Amino acid sequence: MRLMKKQTHLFYAQLTLTLLMCVFLIVPVIQSVMAGVTVNYFVGIKSGLTLKWLKEVWRLYSDTIFRSIYIGLTCLAVDIITGIPAAYVMVKCKNRLTRVIEELLVIPLAIPGLAIALGILICYGRWTTFRMSWFIILAGHVIFTLPFMIRSVIAVMSSFNMLEMEEGAASLGAGFWNRFFEIVIPNAKSGILAGSLMVFTLSIGEFNLTWMLHTPLTKTLPVGLADSYASMRLEIGSAYTIVFFFMIIPILMAMQWIGKSKSKFSDKPAWLDRIRRPQQVMKVRHCGVAHLQETRFSDKQSIIHLTSMKKLRQYRSHPLTPETSSGNLTGDTKTGISIRVKNCSKTFPDGTRALNSTNLSVEGGESIVILGPSGCGKTTILRIIAGLEMPDSDGKVFFEDEDVTKIPIENRNVGMVFQSYALFPNMNVADNIAYGLKVRGDVLKNRQRRVDEMLEMMQIAELKYRNINQLSGGQKQRVALARAIAIRPRVLLLDEPLTALDAKLRDVLRIEIEHLLKFIGITSIYVTHDQSEAMALGDRIVVMKKGGIAQVGTPREIYFKPANRFVAEFIGAINRIKCRVEGDKLVFPYNNIRLNDATNITLAKEEELEIFFRPEHVTIAETGTGHLEVTVDSAIFTGDRTQLVVSDIFKNLIRMEAPGKITFRKGESIEIRLDSTALFTMEE
Amino acid sequence: MNIILIQMRTNILSMKKIFIPILITPVLIIFTAFFILPVAQLAVKSVQGPHIFSTYVTMLTTDRYLETLFYTVILSLGVTLVTVIISGISGVFLQRNEFYGKNILVAMLTFPLAFPGVVVGFMIILLAGRQGLIGNVSKAISGEKIVLAYSMAGLFLGYIYFSIPRVITTVMAAAEKIDPRLEEAALSLGASTWQVTRDVLVPALSPALVSAGAICFATAMGAFGTAFTLATDIDVLAVVIYTEFTLSANITMASALSIFLGIITWGVLSLARLSTGETLAASG
Repeated sequence: MRLMKKQTHLFYAQLTLTLLMCVFLIVPVIQSVMAGVTVNYFVGIKSGLTLKWLKEVWRLYSDTIFRSIYIGLTCLAVDIITGIPAAYVMVKCKNRLTRVIEELLVIPLAIPGLAIALGILICYGRWTTFRMSWFIILAGHVIFTLPFMIRSVIAVMSSFNMLEMEEGAASLGAGFWNRFFEIVIPNAKSGILAGSLMVFTLSIGEFNLTWMLHTPLTKTLPVGLADSYASMRLEIGSAYTIVFFFMIIPILMAMQWIGKSKSKFSDKPAWLDRIRRPQQVMKVRHCGVAHLQETRFSDKQSIIHLTSMKKLRQYRSHPLTPETSSGNLTGDTKTGISIRVKNCSKTFPDGTRALNSTNLSVEGGESIVILGPSGCGKTTILRIIAGLEMPDSDGKVFFEDEDVTKIPIENRNVGMVFQSYALFPNMNVADNIAYGLKVRGDVLKNRQRRVDEMLEMMQIAELKYRNINQLSGGQKQRVALARAIAIRPRVLLLDEPLTALDAKLRDVLRIEIEHLLKFIGITSIYVTHDQSEAMALGDRIVVMKKGGIAQVGTPREIYFKPANRFVAEFIGAINRIKCRVEGDKLVFPYNNIRLNDATNITLAKEEELEIFFRPEHVTIAETGTGHLEVTVDSAIFTGDRTQLVVSDIFKNLIRMEAPGKITFRKGESIEIRLDSTALFTMEE
Repeated sequence: MNIILIQMRTNILSMKKIFIPILITPVLIIFTAFFILPVAQLAVKSVQGPHIFSTYVTMLTTDRYLETLFYTVILSLGVTLVTVIISGISGVFLQRNEFYGKNILVAMLTFPLAFPGVVVGFMIILLAGRQGLIGNVSKAISGEKIVLAYSMAGLFLGYIYFSIPRVITTVMAAAEKIDPRLEEAALSLGASTWQVTRDVLVPALSPALVSAGAICFATAMGAFGTAFTLATDIDVLAVVIYTEFTLSANITMASALSIFLGIITWGVLSLARLSTGETLAASG
């Protein structure tokens, strides 16, 4: 439709303009090519074709060509060696110094080459040796091209989540240089390559600076070109221009190729492809091995296998400690190490207080879930335990009795699973899993065995040699888990690992992780904002609110005995109504409740009490047996049940559920009954 | 034992503090040695004279320099305006339409990206010089040979030749990022093609157009190679700087002109950067 619309006079007007521009740009190029191979340009093609001008150019100017090439290559080397580290620092640290450098990087673009060259001449002109050599030209070229290299690398480094990937590598034990050379540089490759081509092209063609800085003995290609144009032989100038074209065409083509391949391999999520190919045939699986094909079902199906306890027991029966130097696990794999967080608070440099002074202890082998809304400090506390953040000065973190506060993450031996997975795109699945072991110096054989073990445990053996960008979200999550566990960490830390997945897949993986944690018996800390995840996974749940802990308890304690209103309202739905106390009774319009039955009610001084109860503790009552009458405000049928919102005469809204087979009309009056033992009172 | 180990290990934050200087120092040295010091020297030279600003006063009161400055600014502004308009239209057109031969067209339009100014000057000589195509065609048609290359028009053509590929690539990259659904939404609301262009396309493209335009202007202000090759009858600022330095050996004036030129171009680029809120795309 849109295409048809565009084939109008407007389309042709634009096409004409574009073609005219093209003619303007290309005609002189063709003219110069013709002139370079014609015997006499003024006579035209009739004078015959010849290569003598090209030979003449070679005789007169070949030295300028070679000089340009080696100045270009040296300039490139200097730019790579100095520019890449600088780009890395500028992406990683945003401070006053890097901002100044960023500003400096713009200035060589702004100040004309002529002016810079003039400055260099005034500054260094009296050093004759330097002045007469091509090094002075090199200096100019480096200043001119370095910003392009740095910018190109910065653009790529900012496009992938470098910081998190580095944190991932650090959590696996990689030190600074290892991370720099094995994670940062390989992933910035496309930017380095694009920058390199750019730098080389610019250096080859640089004229403004070079014209000022050159001497008769250090002429470069553009200087030679200018000379040839001034020689008044149009043919020689043209022939030299042909040589120049031949030099830059391959570079330009390489640049285009990089641009195209970059967009082709952009981190388009794998599921997008799958949506476009909906009729994927599911492979039959046999011999009890799950084939994780690229269908959306694959993630869900493997649960059948993973939850077959046999595999997990098998995993546990593998020796977890003996042959690793790093395995600090004790002989009994069920009990991981204990963790104590003491007086840890966190204030960021800008003054934001992310965490108030907090104490938390986790027992060995326990699964703790830290739950809270966004911005409550839950990730901060996890990152302090991981070693990615330092707590404020008086905070301490202990693993068993060892004070690990000052130990960086790469030496803490913790396994970490990140929200965005932080898998290394420059390595395949097996290399990702083996990375932590490689960093630790494990021999190849052990690494391979461990990788196979992990792949089998996570039911992803088929993915061993896949690239990371060929994986679905669920598959990536499994690889991330496998990578974290492969190093036999002392503690497993999971930072919202399921948030990036869709709801159904989340349920499946949640159950898998639950089984995994139980059976490895590792101490684990799991951060989430999803209460159902917290309920399912936590031996204990830590509910956080505004940088502090609101309650710590088992899922049951949190649900049935919330410490305060925030917890009550954050976990599940809660109803509240006001009612009067008379003697030993709670007064309701129809039937009263005896305080002896309501064991969780604490009396206050006032006569009127605010009481709380969960939706499931309200039932529809036969006429005359209920506690109060309510009006139906809304009824949502969800299949097995109907979710009701009703209101009492004081317009207090009450949420409740009814069996799905009963139908309700809006405005209908019903009588409800409260479960007296489940009523409770709470402080503000 | 453990305590010793702990003391030997440094935390991740202090490690950063050690490595950052190591990584950033080489660049700082290069920039200081070959950029900051030379430019500082230029600035120092430019204020040598009877009193501090005497060179600048001379510069701004001498007709020759003022004329040059005026011509250079007018030329650069004109080139910027024309290039941004035609390349803007063409860039969006090429990004939004698929037709036979488009790739070749794009390749031809971006080919001159790598041409140095001298080559561009030569191209203009071939196109509009004494033996140029335009001259021959006009002679055949009207009997009068039109020679543009060695005048203001030649410079104008040369700078446009130089700028088109740069602006077109920037515009195409920016147009690619615009969600076509925005235009479809506007069309579905009943907007005409012209209204869509005015209300959706141009606003979405404006950061790219501003930054491409600023670079185009800055490059035109400082361009030397093209003017040098064409050896036109009109002096542009860069050529005057060169002649002051080499022919007149007037280093003070050359320095003052360079500083003045640098301030103008840097100011324009900074303004563009402020107004678009993003860093300028790399371009030469």
